[in-house]
Amino acid sequence: MSNYTPDQVLGHSDEADGIEEYDNRLPRWWVGLFVFSVAWSPAYAVHYHFVAERSQAGEWQAEMDAAAERWPQPTAEAVASMTVTPEVVAEGEAIYKTNCIACHGPELKGGIGPDLTDATWIHGGSRDQIVATVTNGVTEKGMPPWGPVLGAEKVFKVAAYVHQKGGGQY
Amino acid sequence: MSVEPQTTAAAMSAVDYDDAIVKKFIFATLLFGVVGMLVGVILALQLAWWPANLGLEWTTFGRLRPLHTNAVIFAFTGNFIFAGVYYSIQRLLKTRLFNDVLSNIHFWGWQLIIVSAAVSLPMGWTQGKEYAELIWPIDLSIAVIWVVFAINFFGTIAVRKVKHLYVAIWFYMSMVITIAVLHIFNNLSMPATILRSYPIYAGMTDALVQWWYGHNAVGFLLTTPILGLMYYFLPKSVERPVFSYRLSIIHFWALIFLYIWAGPHHLLYSALPDWSQTLGMIFSVMLIAPSWGGMLNGLLTLRGAWDRLRTDPIVKFWVVAVTFYGMSTFEGPMMAIRAVNSLSHYTDWTIGHVHSGALGWVGMAAFAMIYWLVPRLWKTTIHSPAAVTLHFWIATIGIVLYVVAMWSSGITQGLMWRAIDDAGQLQYPIFMDTVLELMPFYAIRLIGGTMYLTGMLMACWNILMTVRGAPASAAAARPATAK
Ligand code: HEC
Ligand code: HEM
Ligand code: HEM
Repeated sequence: MSNYTPDQVLGHSDEADGIEEYDNRLPRWWVGLFVFSVAWSPAYAVHYHFVAERSQAGEWQAEMDAAAERWPQPTAEAVASMTVTPEVVAEGEAIYKTNCIACHGPELKGGIGPDLTDATWIHGGSRDQIVATVTNGVTEKGMPPWGPVLGAEKVFKVAAYVHQKGGGQY
Repeated sequence: MSVEPQTTAAAMSAVDYDDAIVKKFIFATLLFGVVGMLVGVILALQLAWWPANLGLEWTTFGRLRPLHTNAVIFAFTGNFIFAGVYYSIQRLLKTRLFNDVLSNIHFWGWQLIIVSAAVSLPMGWTQGKEYAELIWPIDLSIAVIWVVFAINFFGTIAVRKVKHLYVAIWFYMSMVITIAVLHIFNNLSMPATILRSYPIYAGMTDALVQWWYGHNAVGFLLTTPILGLMYYFLPKSVERPVFSYRLSIIHFWALIFLYIWAGPHHLLYSALPDWSQTLGMIFSVMLIAPSWGGMLNGLLTLRGAWDRLRTDPIVKFWVVAVTFYGMSTFEGPMMAIRAVNSLSHYTDWTIGHVHSGALGWVGMAAFAMIYWLVPRLWKTTIHSPAAVTLHFWIATIGIVLYVVAMWSSGITQGLMWRAIDDAGQLQYPIFMDTVLELMPFYAIRLIGGTMYLTGMLMACWNILMTVRGAPASAAAARPATAK
């Protein structure tokens, strides 16, 4: 290739409807980019799986651990000793709006899920019973278990709100 | 129908090329370009202003969206590719198409498939797989018509009058073979009724096969055949030699080898095993250089012809097409990186990426080819060169509005979804709040899309006027000269 000169046509044009082709060298930076990406890729894969031993599940766990440290969850005893105050109910309302409206409606009058303001309760209308229903859900009927999603404290608050909207008479 | 066995210039002009079939495919491209993009504009309107769903099941977003994607990909892009392939392989191989009957079965069969899609999708008859929504009887017809096309294509190669296969033809071949394989494997299913079937794969396997198909539909329908068309029509339009033969060989083989493995980048952070996600990501990163090889060969072929950029709107179309190709093939690999995808996935960023490829690369290449081809097919000049230039500017500004709006919208959406406040709560827990934030971007996209559609309509008018004004003798199929 010592006698390389740029912009020399190959001379195939009579077999390409008159289109001439040069046989220019590959641009250096292009070759560099290609070699780099082909070298980097297996290195990344080996590093990800075998050196750093990263994984999707591991990433999730690490984020959850970091969150648990930054925003510690109250202990079970702390939740058990909580009382219902207007602030708790207000916070419960915010939690309700975020998570429950889609199925129980903005006025708790039901939709996909049942009306939470009437006097009929499938799983019991006491505050403790509501906490239990919300924590464990009724998966076979389409009510998700909220315990693992919201944590005990938020379940307590949203249950307080639902209980009060339902009249709180049970 | 005289076919000369020699390859001299005199003999070349004696080949009786089938240009009637090319003309048919061009008309179909224009027709379905308008239909597909009109539906795109309706979708954009529905997202900006929900009452445009009209409250009728057939016109809701969910039913019209697959109609849009099928119309623009299989009808607009498909017909444009067939027109360009059938025009160029005859010239490159110095022979008429293998069989006229097959050419016509291909044309009419394909249009029939499109019409059945236009009926079945608004009716809600779907397999629920993106870009493979069509129900099994239509899938079977696609397979049959594709085989007809393949026989006609390889038949033409078999009876060719030249030895060497020009680079454009390798790209066409990769499309013909790969699309057949992808279509058949992704649609394998057990029919239950005439409208319904069950895929033979389940769960994650089904998803993986689907995105192996989905990604390579992009690769081998929206990318490689159009690169092939670029290798023919771009040097023809600027009358310059292709920059580098060896670059074309290397980037071709690298591209088709790497593309096939990149599908899992559509399934990052899903139930797909980690190692296959890694595979999808790294094969995407390795795709940058091979993709840019095509861009470089296109742009560097224009060296020495830059003066024509100011005067020749066809060159303008090519420059924008190739530039958007380079941009979307840089953006794609970036979006395939895990950390970036965790932000971009599910957002309008993807929609922006799609349309910078679709409107910028596919659409502009189609217009460049059509404006070059039509005057030659009808042996006349374009009716209004000024309208071609105007089309170029309207379309280019339309693309920029569309794509910038979607990038902004996508990043806004992604950041709002993941924002966490000081108490460790979601900052925007109410999904609707994140949607309302996007309304201005949806309005801008609607404007950009409408501009692009306007350009498409101008092209139709200009082409029809050109054809009407063409000398009558050119309307009848006539031997065409090669140069
Ligand atoms: C995906 C829909 C859905 C969501 C979201 C949802 N629920 Fe439910 N919920 C249901 C369904 C369905 C039932 C009925 C279960 C049954 O029939 O046993 C139900 C039942 C309940 C009950 C028991 C009602 C009774 O009559 O005993 C309570 C209390 C309740 N949900 C509270 C909540 C709260 C609080 C939230 C938000 C944290 C919530 N739900 C979110 C679907 C949902
Ligand atoms: C090297 C080239 C490319 C790579 C690596 C690439 C990569 C990607 C990635 C990572 C996504 C997002 C997946 C997700 O988060 O769901 C995507 C989506 C998409 N890309 Fe590309 N892209 C490339 C080029 C192109 C081009 C040139 C086009 C069009 C002409 C295109 C069309 C699409 C489409 C249609 C989608 C949306 C798929 C869906 O329905 O979700 N891509 N691409
Ligand atoms: C006037 C021009 C166009 C407009 C206004 C338009 C508009 C739209 C809209 C509103 C969507 C739905 C986005 C969403 O779900 O949020 C969409 C999706 C899509 N469009 Fe277009 N479009 C146009 C042209 C095209 C063209 C020419 C192509 C291809 C060649 C194309 C390919 C696609 C694809 C593949 C999707 C699905 C993307 C995905 O699932 O990620 N569009 N378009």
